[in-house]
Amino acid sequence: MRLQSSFAAAALLVGASQACSAAIFTVLGSEPGSWPIILSSVGHLPGPATQAGIFVARAGTPAAADWKAKVEHGAALILEGTSPVASSFGFKAGTDSISTVHLVDTHNPALPVIWEKAIELPRYEAPANAQIFAKERWTGAPLVAGVKVGLGAVLWVAADPGRNGYERFPYLMQALADLGVAPVFRSSRLWAFFDYSYRSRADLDYLAERWRKAGISALHVASWHFFDGDPERDAYLKRLIEACHRHGVLVYAWIELPHVSDKFWNDHPEWREKTAILQHAQLDWRKLMNLQNPDCVDAIRTGVRRMMQRFDWDGANLAELYFESLEGAGNPARFTPMNDNVRAAFRAQSGWDPVELWSTRTDAESLRQFLDFRAGLAKRMQEEWLQTAESFREFRPDLDIVLTHVDDRFDTGMKDAIGADAARVLPLLDRQQFWFLIEDPATVWNLGPQRYPEIAAKYKPLTKHPEKLAIDINIVDRYQDVYPTRQQTGTELFELVHLAASAFPRVALYFENSILRPDMPLLASSAAVVRSYSLDARRLTIDSPMDIEVNWSGDGALVDGKPWPAHGSGMLRLPAGAHTLERSARLDAPSITDLNAVLRSAVVESGKRVSFEYTSDSRAIATFDRRLSLLEIDGNSTTPGCDGPAVCTVMLPRGSHRVTVR
Amino acid sequence: VESCIRLATLCLLATVALAQEPDAAYDTLVRAFDSQRAHDYDAAVALFQKAAALSPGRPDIRKNLAYTLLKTGDSDAAREQFGEAMRLDPADLHLALEYAFLCYEARENPSARKAEARRIFARIRESADPESRRTADQAFQNIDVPLAAGIARWRQVLAASPPTFSAVYELAQLAEQRDELELAAASYRQAFQLLPERRSVLLELARVEKTRSNSEGMMAALLAASRGPETRTAELAREQLPDRYPYVYEFREALELDPQNAALHRELAYLLLSMSEKKETARADAVEEFRAIVKDSPQDYLAAAQLGLLYLSDNREALAMPILREVLGHADQPTANRVRMALKIPLLLEERRAEVSANDPRLLGERSFEAGFLKDAKRYFLAAREQNPVDASIALKLGWTNNMLHDDAAAIRWFDIARRSSDPVISSEADKAYTNLRPDNERFRSTLWIYPLLSSRWGDLFGYGQLKTEIKVPKLPVRPYVSVRFAGDARRTTGGVSPQNLSESAFIFGVGVATRQWRGATGWFEAGTSIGYLNAQQMADYRGGLSYSKTIGVSLASERSGWFLETLADSVYISRFSNDLLNYSQNRTGFTSSVGPLKIQTFWTSNLTFDVKKQYWANFAETGPGFRFHPDGTPPSLSITLGAVRGIYLVNKGNPHRPNFYDFRVGVWYAVTK
Repeated sequence: MRLQSSFAAAALLVGASQACSAAIFTVLGSEPGSWPIILSSVGHLPGPATQAGIFVARAGTPAAADWKAKVEHGAALILEGTSPVASSFGFKAGTDSISTVHLVDTHNPALPVIWEKAIELPRYEAPANAQIFAKERWTGAPLVAGVKVGLGAVLWVAADPGRNGYERFPYLMQALADLGVAPVFRSSRLWAFFDYSYRSRADLDYLAERWRKAGISALHVASWHFFDGDPERDAYLKRLIEACHRHGVLVYAWIELPHVSDKFWNDHPEWREKTAILQHAQLDWRKLMNLQNPDCVDAIRTGVRRMMQRFDWDGANLAELYFESLEGAGNPARFTPMNDNVRAAFRAQSGWDPVELWSTRTDAESLRQFLDFRAGLAKRMQEEWLQTAESFREFRPDLDIVLTHVDDRFDTGMKDAIGADAARVLPLLDRQQFWFLIEDPATVWNLGPQRYPEIAAKYKPLTKHPEKLAIDINIVDRYQDVYPTRQQTGTELFELVHLAASAFPRVALYFENSILRPDMPLLASSAAVVRSYSLDARRLTIDSPMDIEVNWSGDGALVDGKPWPAHGSGMLRLPAGAHTLERSARLDAPSITDLNAVLRSAVVESGKRVSFEYTSDSRAIATFDRRLSLLEIDGNSTTPGCDGPAVCTVMLPRGSHRVTVR
Repeated sequence: VESCIRLATLCLLATVALAQEPDAAYDTLVRAFDSQRAHDYDAAVALFQKAAALSPGRPDIRKNLAYTLLKTGDSDAAREQFGEAMRLDPADLHLALEYAFLCYEARENPSARKAEARRIFARIRESADPESRRTADQAFQNIDVPLAAGIARWRQVLAASPPTFSAVYELAQLAEQRDELELAAASYRQAFQLLPERRSVLLELARVEKTRSNSEGMMAALLAASRGPETRTAELAREQLPDRYPYVYEFREALELDPQNAALHRELAYLLLSMSEKKETARADAVEEFRAIVKDSPQDYLAAAQLGLLYLSDNREALAMPILREVLGHADQPTANRVRMALKIPLLLEERRAEVSANDPRLLGERSFEAGFLKDAKRYFLAAREQNPVDASIALKLGWTNNMLHDDAAAIRWFDIARRSSDPVISSEADKAYTNLRPDNERFRSTLWIYPLLSSRWGDLFGYGQLKTEIKVPKLPVRPYVSVRFAGDARRTTGGVSPQNLSESAFIFGVGVATRQWRGATGWFEAGTSIGYLNAQQMADYRGGLSYSKTIGVSLASERSGWFLETLADSVYISRFSNDLLNYSQNRTGFTSSVGPLKIQTFWTSNLTFDVKKQYWANFAETGPGFRFHPDGTPPSLSITLGAVRGIYLVNKGNPHRPNFYDFRVGVWYAVTK
């Protein structure tokens, strides 16, 4: 039995006086190390030992007679290194020692997990019935192992997990979940980028269902593959959007200007962007076009408009709308823009050709002059394209708009490197509705998760609309010397997402295909933010700054003492704020099993009617556990348009609305 | 006839059909396809995997597994399955095309994968199948044309502007993808030289060198990568290196590629140094290598000390002294002490201890050792040894720590290392420990002990001794042995009307087994023949028992003075004494001290002897003073004991003597083990 369900059963049904929950953890002793960070990264909360369901016994913790009984009755015990209590469960240090730097984890055996520095560890013995999760690469000595004991479980790790909690053992939370200790909370408000090239042969319903389970609310689809209109590709995208909508996932067009499409590049060599060595700007996979050429811009605008009309998009994301490259003026072979229009405009303003910066005008003042001019150009481009995106609302009134912008506050070199200047763009939020999605540049991908609260703190003073700031986490191989994995995975990823979700209302992940398989099941929990949580024999009390999902195994529920309609599929959805939960009998009214929007309130009315209020920046998607006979939006009746008898998924309009169903 | 032929054919077909192996995977495959049809891809993947394990030679199962994996979006796993299917059925061009397309999409090692895809497309476009040929040709063109353009573009960039890492690296990747391997190798090499901190480039270079069958180039890149400061690259390189230790020329080629690699220089230098014991020219090479290290890294005082000492031993003091003075002035204490030792100047003791970091593993090891946390001490000393592999004092400490942990095999290895130290204090202590421990761990161990004893009570000189050879058999908990014992005396009998033998007066030849010592206790049993040397009488002799000895405090062998408590307990079954079981307990409490060069123990002894058969001669208690000393200049294991006891028989039935007695004894103990 998984602890998450035993929690509900024990705490709510049986009404045990000594109720404990897998959501609450306690680290024994005075030195908690990084365990609070690790456990919090998937939504577990620190709490008193009397309520805790997870206990951490660090190295040296003395044995106590009642540990075995406690675990047998459902507690999860995490043991670190050598201790009498670890020995009492059969995890014993041998006399040999092993210089340990490289491990293999069963959750991803092909992934090299390598520590920055080797440490000497005793060669441990694990009990015969233990499940070995991680082994030392060269000797096979166990490093992470677990064993189920009665209703509970013991997870043992050979060493301190490191200062930040992820330096040594990336998959501790997965191991804990394998032992039945799954997180209790979830949040389904993540965004993820999507590239068709990697998924052309996948079953789209399979993927869409998986994305939703991973807490993804919107997919930002690489739209340049669909710019030119190809019957086969268009059919694919239509199927993708339909599958996503069926499973409650919204779909945004990810527009990566000045890259338009391969065909556009091939068809219009005259409009190609140039680098400072006057080569056509084909940089990595991006083939950049000249966005200062009016004819080129018109052609692109027409093409993008057509693409937005052809598909049932929920949003448009204007991404990386500035120049190249992260190496700045130091690498002229990658430096843009240097097309004829830019050169002419700058020459007209300053009296000299910017190409001279790499030959005769190598002084810092001249470079500064051009870099400021270039930042102004970038800002103007962003402004113009935001207006263009706004114009798409003529035919897609529910369209959400996102501007993805590299961070230039935390890494201040970005303005000069690529022309990005957030301070110039953020005031646009005062007069236009869009998300400002901050992308942290590759130069800081090696820094720890704490950078996200810092980034949030730097941006909030720049705008009156902090609720429109979002953050983009790049989950990719990093070029820096990073440990223990080149790409963020496991605890490091969960910490990144958790801290980002605590600091920003939206977190985007680049990209859905790079998220490693073992991370998917716990991703939604890492995005959950809960301020406090407690339980007694009858009820749970949860306080969250944003709407949240709670594991729920009961048939029905009372929230704040009233029947609650927003639950199903093992989850119960709560609006932001403090609420109490109690178990109750099943209702004979529709249940909202999923809602891709911010839930504000919900109520069960008489006559099997259910009403709820929501807010959404794009269309919302609601899923119910049955076919609806009534659907009213703000009192206006509309056709439910349900697919089948068992479930019903409906699209709802952008904004704040009250919906009534029966 | 026709009917007969038909019947025979049917029988033949039935026989062939029955002779067919049953399809082990059939049921699993049926379920796999059912799951696939139900869009339960996770279940289908698991079932196809099971079927593939049951019928590993069937490419069709791999192919179906790959297509199901594609449905789940797991292209990497699908590619591996297509690859396996392709290996099983190389003629299936469709499989090869699928594999190649997925290689081209791969995100991991993209350059190598794209190159592989291009090669497969190039091969298939020469095939006989027109459709496959057409597909492959199109794919090849789609890959090759942009690659060629990219290579031309970056070549142009590099021709027009100074080389940057990103330009050269991009060129290298494109060249690798297009199988322009010479250009790729040269570009990766150049990229690494432009940005040596990006050590992962060495792995890419190694990969290209391997593809172009340049095993020496591959080895150089891997060796350089494996010894670098970046552990990820080092570990990934280590996975690809051969099991054997690299040759000197391979080190040199790696250094040519990565001349700033201090770890590589140092390892080569020590390798040459160790080789110099057998090969004189290696010494000069070692000197050169240390000289290069010191030149590039003047702060590497360990290498500097080694270089200075090498100069010193070559009588090149003018070269040695400036370097050694620098070491004395700046190096850590152990390194400085090595130099001080060589220069015969007093060692630094604790004055620099405050400078030692609280995280210094050596210091932590010493503290753990002192506090009795031996496992921790061992861990820390191993870490210290890793940091400073030439510090023999750490090897010595590891020897003692392992010895205390009863891991004498490891202890001997560390003592053996430490006894080669140039530090006479360390080498002497380690040699002594090695010499003491080694026999216990040799395959054959022979022990001779003799104990002549003069007794005033019996007016007799007794002699006891044994020569025993043990065989150590790995993993066997006991050690077999052969033994010759001697028990005799000068007086032979008590005389009188019923003379009694005062000793066995015999040689006893036997074979037996003894357990390893466990906390001072040993069990043994032997069977043999006793041959009397007075009457040549032979009789069977079976004996065995348990022995226990323990000394607490300062032993006679110790360098210091102090209290001691010594106890010896034996419980011995001897067949020739009417199958009796004799028990001895001998206890000494006293003080160990030095009188001039003489080591002396003054003690009080209390002995108890009793048996099962309750024979009077085997049941008595005695107590009294005594002393034991080790004369200077005699073998270390020799000691002389003088003692006086007052005794009492505990069983007097059949006792022809008085119930009480006095005895003054002088005995000489000597034992040697080889």
